[in-house]
Amino acid sequence: MRTFMVLVRKELGELLTLQMLAPFIAIIFVFMALGNVISAAGDTDEPTRVVVVDNDGTAESAVIGASLEAVGLTVVPVQDEDLDAVVTREADSAGLYVVVPEGFGASLERGEPAMVQVRTVMTGFSFLGMRGGAEVQNGLAAANQSIATAIAARHAPDVPVALLQQPLTVENQVTIGERTAATSAEAVAGFVSQQTTLIPIVLFIVIVFAAQMIATTIATEKENKTLETLLSYPISRTSLVTAKMVAAGLVSLLSAGAYMIGMRQYMAGMMSGVGEQSATDAMSGVMAELGLTLTTADYAMLGLSLFAGILLALSIAIILGAFAESVKAVGALITPLMMTLMVPYLLTMFIDLNSASPLLKWAVLAIPFTHPFTAAQNLFLGNEGVVWAGIAYQLVWFAGFALIAAKVFSSDRILTMKLDLRRKR
Amino acid sequence: MSSLLAVRELRKSYGHLDAVKGIDFDIAPGEIYALIGPNGAGKTTTLRMVATILKPTAGTITLDGHDVVRDAAQVRRMISYLPEEAGAYKNMKAIDYLTFVAQVFFAERDRVERAVSVARQVSGLGERLNDKLGSYSKGMTRKLLLARTVMTEPKLAILDEPTSGLDVLNALEIRDRVRELARQGMSVLLSSHNMLEIEYLSDRVGIIDHGVIRDTGTAAQLKERHGADNLETVFGVLAGRVRADADREAVAR
Ligand SMILES: Nc1ncnc2c1ncn2[C@@H]1O[C@H](COP(=O)(O)OP(=O)(O)O)[C@@H](O)[C@H]1O
Ligand SMILES: [Mg+2]
Repeated sequence: MRTFMVLVRKELGELLTLQMLAPFIAIIFVFMALGNVISAAGDTDEPTRVVVVDNDGTAESAVIGASLEAVGLTVVPVQDEDLDAVVTREADSAGLYVVVPEGFGASLERGEPAMVQVRTVMTGFSFLGMRGGAEVQNGLAAANQSIATAIAARHAPDVPVALLQQPLTVENQVTIGERTAATSAEAVAGFVSQQTTLIPIVLFIVIVFAAQMIATTIATEKENKTLETLLSYPISRTSLVTAKMVAAGLVSLLSAGAYMIGMRQYMAGMMSGVGEQSATDAMSGVMAELGLTLTTADYAMLGLSLFAGILLALSIAIILGAFAESVKAVGALITPLMMTLMVPYLLTMFIDLNSASPLLKWAVLAIPFTHPFTAAQNLFLGNEGVVWAGIAYQLVWFAGFALIAAKVFSSDRILTMKLDLRRKR
Repeated sequence: MSSLLAVRELRKSYGHLDAVKGIDFDIAPGEIYALIGPNGAGKTTTLRMVATILKPTAGTITLDGHDVVRDAAQVRRMISYLPEEAGAYKNMKAIDYLTFVAQVFFAERDRVERAVSVARQVSGLGERLNDKLGSYSKGMTRKLLLARTVMTEPKLAILDEPTSGLDVLNALEIRDRVRELARQGMSVLLSSHNMLEIEYLSDRVGIIDHGVIRDTGTAAQLKERHGADNLETVFGVLAGRVRADADREAVAR
């Protein structure tokens, strides 16, 4: 045990060097910076401009401009002009245009529905750039209501305005397990995916990072010719392999934690940037009502599932690293591992395994790395059993590969095994 | 002669290639035994088997009564191995590297300290021990690694081409250190393809070629036996005889 700790310390020393850590520190900073930039971009208090082309000039058409102003938009009024001409003249940047055509007021007078046009000149597809569009829709909805109120007051003074405006209200309910809450399925799905989109990316990066790290330490020992010496020391080969895995596992967990912090910062930036904090808070209440929240225990399980995945990746990568003659070869050698990781990463992002065909479902579930990717979803749904099974399944694979790794390291193969990729062609 | 190391009928094959084809030799306590031969003769393969990192295909190696394969754990406590062209951890300070190795071998703090102080003295690197190994020259690295090899006071030091690639002065220094340590009772198994240095360094020499030991003896005995005035000529004669043997076999067929 003492020698083991000496070894772990040596491995940690090797891993915690600047060259090894630089790339992932950089990524964390990039995420944090991104979050801040997005948050800053969203924080601009400058109201969105909307050009209102009023070709009608009636009291009714004036309601449109007033309603848009009421929701906080800066209205630039234009009278009696062709929309295309206005757009050409304005053509500075992305812009929102609302046209009230001639005869708008008259058709309402006649008791016919009237039409307004909204044109958005798009110069990009960014999320933040679309904000004004939603505000225009809100403004127009308000206009609809005030016009409806006016019409109702004139034509049917006896009927309550609210009844005419919205005779039918819809109450959405969602049931999950034994709990039901008043919300829509879209809202729930949207919220869960929003809260969990970044988890697979973190899992992918951390597992690949772990594999890369341990394969590199083996390759470095081979390249610098320190491995032979290490193998002649009075240390059991199992301790040697385990010490390397423990050290790399610790560093990977550390990096996972760091990523999570970076991601949270990024998400927080996103949220405040998009100005949906209050909506998020309201939704959190609904999610709690549905039991769709991740408790500390859930996070611990998620971490455990990730750790099992890291261990498995390490046990595979240490074997792959044994084939490497030099550090340069590591990238090519861990490609197969990255592929097996890519499959669950992409599949769980795009398909819902629970509703997939049984063949596909079981094929994907058979890949041990699928389980950390589905853990968050399962925890949201309260399927703890499935998550435990996934952890156990990964540990079985890990035990198998760890045994093979110990075998490789206790035989001649660690010194004689090499893959000459050129000769095979 | 009571031998510390006994190698009997030792063979090693890499797939179809027979690298070592049944060799025997002994090393007495305090003796320096050198395997000399050209590149590819099987020296490194033999040393690796003695150092417990390759398993023999056939034959036995016994160190102080312990079988190298069966009692690998005990054997590893008694030996110390300096591989050919060995390197060191570039990010480590030399002193930390020595401490790390000492801690791998010894649990007691004073034993660790003694080992490090032996290494300090043998390496002669002084203040430079506080520098990172990445900044070391080839000669310095070799001296440090030799110091690391002997600091655990092994019964047998296994040195693969200890002076290859070093300049004359560094090579001389290393040879002197090895001689001195052997005088203090450490046995040494070393390999070299530099036949001249071996005359100075070793007590006994085994001339190895194509995985076979052609002849063994002191440098003086070998020179006399083959009527040569240096070991290079001895090797030439032996290698010539090898070719003659092969020719004769070919003719017989
Ligand atoms: N890992 C290996 N796989 C296959 N052949 C090897 C391996 N290591 C050494 N050999 C071969 O074994 C023979 C002996 O090599 P080696 O023991 O390194 O010789 P030396 O140290 O005397 O130069 C050579 O022909 C070499 O090519
Ligand atoms: Mg060699």
